[in-house]
Amino acid sequence: MIDVRVQSPVFDVGEEQRQLLAGRRDIGAVVTFTGLVRDFNERPDVQALSLEHYPGMTEAALRDIAEQATARWPLDGIRVVHRVGRLSPSDPIVMVMVASAHRRVAFDACDFLMDYLKTRAPFWKKEHTASGTYWVSARDSDARDAARWEEA
Amino acid sequence: MSLTHLNARGEAHMVDVGDKAETQREAVASGRIIMRPETLALLAEGGLPKGDVLATARIAGIQAAKRTHELIPLCHALLLSKVSVDFRLDEAASCVHVESRCRLAGRTGVEMEALTAVSVACLTLYDMCKAVDKDMTIEGVRLEHKTGGKSGEWHRASADVSTTRDASEPPSVDSAAIRVKFLAELRERLDIEEIEVPVAALKSPDVASLKAALEAQDSRFSALSAARILCAVNHAMANEETSLSEGDEVAFFPPVTGG
Repeated sequence: MIDVRVQSPVFDVGEEQRQLLAGRRDIGAVVTFTGLVRDFNERPDVQALSLEHYPGMTEAALRDIAEQATARWPLDGIRVVHRVGRLSPSDPIVMVMVASAHRRVAFDACDFLMDYLKTRAPFWKKEHTASGTYWVSARDSDARDAARWEEA
Repeated sequence: MSLTHLNARGEAHMVDVGDKAETQREAVASGRIIMRPETLALLAEGGLPKGDVLATARIAGIQAAKRTHELIPLCHALLLSKVSVDFRLDEAASCVHVESRCRLAGRTGVEMEALTAVSVACLTLYDMCKAVDKDMTIEGVRLEHKTGGKSGEWHRASADVSTTRDASEPPSVDSAAIRVKFLAELRERLDIEEIEVPVAALKSPDVASLKAALEAQDSRFSALSAARILCAVNHAMANEETSLSEGDEVAFFPPVTGG
């Protein structure tokens, strides 16, 4: 039901979806979010991104967030894959895939999972740009996005 | 228990070992020299002005072990069958750990040789690095274990904790420690990845006291008190009041930026 992974190799969204749906006939909707490395962020000309995590805690945090989603919505499956290590612009970083009987639930749960992942899962990004290397700052907008789910 | 190097009149004398049985004897001693992280980095990359520091310190330690009887008045001259001196660079504690192992088949122990090897290896490290760092401290020189002879095997009772402790504090029997990790930008800013803090060094067993103990040890740890710095205990988010016990893993890190 819940499958979370932290890995450095690239993931294949199609393959992830095949595995999520294997043998199921009751799922009516799958919503997938894929996050990619942009070539501009706090500074232009991002050449690469290094992603660090806290082994043990990161996996536990992702699982906890997924469990919160299943407590909120009637879901049939969640797969979360987050990459670590050095990535280049256009590389996929993260995938959140949610399956449910109906689309609204799947959209909402996927949105929730990404908001919580960005503000609660221990990952840190370092950007390598033409003008130097720096650790990416947390964004207030991400915290505001995550706070939306607390009122509901 | 009496001191074997004092005779019946309380005068120093050399113990007659002629009628002691020859046994295989071994002693291991250790110590460390604490230096600035920059000095350790230079040492690691061979960038110090006097050249290959570790190779020189190793030879110095071995030579010293062989000449222990010339330095320590009542020590016997021994025909050592083996002397090794090893180094381990510890970035987290910003020090070089030195360990010496001495062996012989004979009638007297080799702990003085092992301790001398560690001491002189540390002194040589100091000499080789002092051009760039005069603050270095040699500490923790001690016997780890010895085997053979009448007194049989002896091992140091408790595990070592690398953290420094005030000399005024009573030595703690319980040296159980809390492992503290620093992650991402915080690790780079503090220039430390991991440190162990004895539970006994905390005023009370909680995160707030851990921060205070670290800050008392080194002012750079005041950065941990910034509001943005987060803390986890055993992989779960924690706060100032979260209680700690021996063997816990505490991590400090900046706000997360994944996704």
